[in-house]
Amino acid sequence: MIEYLIFAVFVGLLLHGIHRKAIARIQGRPGPPIWQEILHVLKFSFKETWIPATASQTLFVAVVIIAIGVWSTALFVLLTGGSLLLLFAVYMLHKIVEHGLGLSSGSPYGKFGAIRSVMSAASEIPLFATIAAIYLITGSLMISDIQAWQAAHGPLLFTALPAAIALYIVVLAKMHYSPFAVIESKEIVSGNVTEHFGVWRAGLEAAFGLKTFVLLYAFIVLFLGPMPLLLAAVAMVLLLLSLSFICALSPMLSPFDTVTIQIGTAGLIVVYVLLMGVIV
Amino acid sequence: MFDLPIEGAELLAVEFGDIVNYFSVYTAVLFVFALLFTVLAIISRPEKPVDIVFGGDAYYAKKIPPEQLRFQRFMAIACGLATLGAMISGDLFNFTLFSSMIGITNIGIVAAVKNKHVLEAAYQYGIVAMVATVPLFGGAAIALATTGTLSIWELAGAGAVPLLAKMLLVVGVMGEGMAPFYIGKAEITRAPGAPYVLMIHVSSLLLFLRVVEIALTV
Repeated sequence: MIEYLIFAVFVGLLLHGIHRKAIARIQGRPGPPIWQEILHVLKFSFKETWIPATASQTLFVAVVIIAIGVWSTALFVLLTGGSLLLLFAVYMLHKIVEHGLGLSSGSPYGKFGAIRSVMSAASEIPLFATIAAIYLITGSLMISDIQAWQAAHGPLLFTALPAAIALYIVVLAKMHYSPFAVIESKEIVSGNVTEHFGVWRAGLEAAFGLKTFVLLYAFIVLFLGPMPLLLAAVAMVLLLLSLSFICALSPMLSPFDTVTIQIGTAGLIVVYVLLMGVIV
Repeated sequence: MFDLPIEGAELLAVEFGDIVNYFSVYTAVLFVFALLFTVLAIISRPEKPVDIVFGGDAYYAKKIPPEQLRFQRFMAIACGLATLGAMISGDLFNFTLFSSMIGITNIGIVAAVKNKHVLEAAYQYGIVAMVATVPLFGGAAIALATTGTLSIWELAGAGAVPLLAKMLLVVGVMGEGMAPFYIGKAEITRAPGAPYVLMIHVSSLLLFLRVVEIALTV
């Protein structure tokens, strides 16, 4: 399992690099090399590290470890074909990591990031509407069963397109430079990760790389079905590039607008699920 | 568990008479997460909040009275214990009780903070949480009235609980601090005492994750 974990971290960081490169090219800039994020993590790993005097010291360190633990669990669930409910529970628990990162440092910028993170909790609601739609169609929440269903009936992308769109928005909300990424907006420095540097930042970046890998791979597995690894990798890059286009061309939304859009999406999906529940 | 393809395998069942609490892969993960943050609330020292002086470059450190932080820690631990109970409860009524206790302790965590914005937000959040107990207990009551039991063990997979009861349970839990009823919590987050304030979010989120499992199971 550890080899999969290391592989996923490096691929996730590489995907971050591709994301940055794609955004830069779309905006007419040269952009950093695609392995820049891997170099960042290596650099941070050997930087001098300490804990700010104002921080809640135990919590400050614990959230970094929890971030890595949360996404390692998500990867394990995804690879073993476990419960989709558990996978997305883990996704939601990442929200606590975001709150904890911002609150633990004592920094006002971190606290602003944490407050925005609470507001952006609306992004989790479309997620459960997606799960409900998948459950109504496939009759199971085990990822292995969902894959088997798609092998027999074709990709869920066509059967449950609104659910796929909802999950796409959820994934978009978690991408760097996304219009929904208000918690790390530059007017509050780096938001909730402002005070985490050195080894702590390296750990966080590794966890975030893992997160990107898990979310993109989960989208492929849930809506396109089982496929060879190479094809899955190509699909993940294409999915990422579509997200990069949106990130490059959309301005950062205001915190209240992010909530409005996400709640609106959730409302539409809930109506879709209720209609589907009645029809099914 | 319960021969349903929802939450993974059963790991352990803990009987208290006719009330049977259980750990599936899913509820065990939620339980461990709640336990982790309860322990963090016990052992972590709070942060020393720094504020910016508006219109200038100056910063100042806020002084937080130790007795306020002690009370916050006490309420956070109570909240953690209620969350632990809600995660493994195998009984709908116990689940609603634990949910209500979480709502009360969430307010308690910030009630001692002497900040107008935080107290106003806590007051508004408290009203929503109290109102939300009506659908919460209403959902459990309808489930009991239609099926004659509140045991998740007996209700699992039977499809006997009406959709209305499930929806009321979910709405009730959402009122305890999930979107779209959660917005007061953004202001609450301004309160000092990171390990304790964090417990407000941990409990609400875990409660929601648990009620989704219950709604799909019964």
